[in-house]
Formats: sequence, structure tokens, C-alpha cells
Amino acid sequence: MALTIKSVNMMMPVVQRFGPACCFSTSQTLQEIRLLARMRIVDNSAIGKAAAEIGKPPRVIHVYNDKRVGFLGDKVLVTVKGEMKRAYIVGLRQKQKPNVPRMDTNNIVLVDDNGNPLGNRITVPIPSALRRKGGDITKILSLATKFV
Amino acid sequence: MRIELCSYSGYKIYPGHGRRLVKADGRTFNFLSHKCERSHMMKRNPRNINWTVLYRRKHKKGQTEEVTKKKTRRTQKFQRAITGATLNDILAKRNQKPEVRKAQREQAIRAYKEKVKVKEAQKKATKPAPVKQAKQPKTAKQPMAKAPRVGGKR
Repeated sequence: MALTIKSVNMMMPVVQRFGPACCFSTSQTLQEIRLLARMRIVDNSAIGKAAAEIGKPPRVIHVYNDKRVGFLGDKVLVTVKGEMKRAYIVGLRQKQKPNVPRMDTNNIVLVDDNGNPLGNRITVPIPSALRRKGGDITKILSLATKFV
Repeated sequence: MRIELCSYSGYKIYPGHGRRLVKADGRTFNFLSHKCERSHMMKRNPRNINWTVLYRRKHKKGQTEEVTKKKTRRTQKFQRAITGATLNDILAKRNQKPEVRKAQREQAIRAYKEKVKVKEAQKKATKPAPVKQAKQPKTAKQPMAKAPRVGGKR
């Protein structure tokens, strides 16, 4: 029987294995801000610096939103060093809408109950898309040094 | 709207295209495409990636039209005084007019000729005098020498 190259290949198929060892597909991580998401405080408030030094990042315990998923400019409730503080989301790791930059970290700025920021200055770049939001955000934007 | 440059490839990013990334230290990167972004994430050096502007700049591709300024080293001529003559003297000599030079030369020749004449005159004057003087004493001596020998020694 004349064996052509094609038939040889068909008789001895090569099994190649890529991807995960498990046999189910996984979607990419969404990197949403939900309950217990770890954040990074980017203002120069005392609590923020202390938390960073200890190495215990603030965690989101409530998102003031219908969907309970935080987006850019949303208010969240955070635990920092055993205290509950309100904060505004100022940068996300998530893929954003066009013309909105993506950050490498989920950034928040701490705010007191009246809406006044606890820190004096924000050195990290802030997306200029926040200018449209208004409200307490404008107080935060006045602290910002660099816009992206 | 501003036309940004891709931080990785160096291409222009027109409004509505590309993505922007802000890293934890605050550095901002503009990426034209997913390809650029992924290459950056994979930590590929754009200077080693053939299609990027940085690579082309590094390997000097496509720059034959630009004229590169050649730096030629020229030795500078420098006027300097020597032990024999000061700078002013040198300059004066160099800047002499040709007529002046000719006149000087002629003067020098005249002077030399005169000198030669004088020398020759001197020679003439001194040459026959010693010759005459030599003859006179000779003739005077001979008769005088004979005379005293008559009654002489023997």
C-alpha cells in the first residue's frame, strides 16, 4: 500500500496541548471594584500613609451605586486600619472607555463625611474625565497636581 | 486635539486611536495599538524591534538624504614671535611693499659693490707697496754686504 505523506499524518496524529491543564475555559479577569476589593490611597493623608507602611491595603465594603460595582468617580466605603472611611475612585485597572486612561493600580482618595478630602495633595495622575463629574469630585481635583 | 506619539513604536496617534496607560509610579504611556501595548508589557526593548522608530533611529535607517555635518579639523595658522625678531618686525617685513623691497635690495647690492671696490682698492694699495719695499732693501743690502767682507774674518 502506497503511503503518501498525507495518509501517514492521518494515521499518526500528533496531539498538541496548549492552554490550561483543566478542560474548561476561563474568561479574563474583569478587575471590577466590588466588595472587598483592595485599593490604593493616593492622597497624602496620615491614615493612607500608615496603611501603606503596614502593608494592609484599604478594602471596599460598600459601593454607593445601583450595581454595587464601582467605576471612575464613584463613592465607596472603605476600611482602613480598622476604621470606616468614605472615598472616591480616582483610577482603575479595568479597561476603560476610549480616551480614558487605564492605571496599573486601583486608586482612591479618602474623604470625610462632609465630602472634604482628608489629604492635601495628590501626586498621582488623575484622569481628566473626572472633571465632568462635579460634586465632591471638584474638591478632589483641586488637590491634583497632574492630569492625564 | 493633540496628536500624541506612541511611547513604544514612535508612530503618531490620532484622536480616537490607541490607549493610554498610567503606571504605579505615575509614568504615562501612549500606545498606538494592542501590538505596541503587548510588546511593552512583555518588556521587549523597542530598540531591538525592527519596525519601531527607535530601532530605525538607532541603526540609522533611511537617513541618507539628510546631510550629516562633517567636522573637519583645520590647523590654525598662528603668528608667533621668534627669538630673533618680534611679532611686529615679522609683520613689518612681510607687509613691505615690493618697490620698497626692490629699493632695499638695490641698496644692499650697491653697498656690497662699494665694499668690494674698497677692498680691491685697498688690496691694490697694499700689494705694490710691499713688493717695492721688498726690492729696495734687497738692492741696498747686496753692495753693503760685500763691502765689509774685505777686511773681514778669515
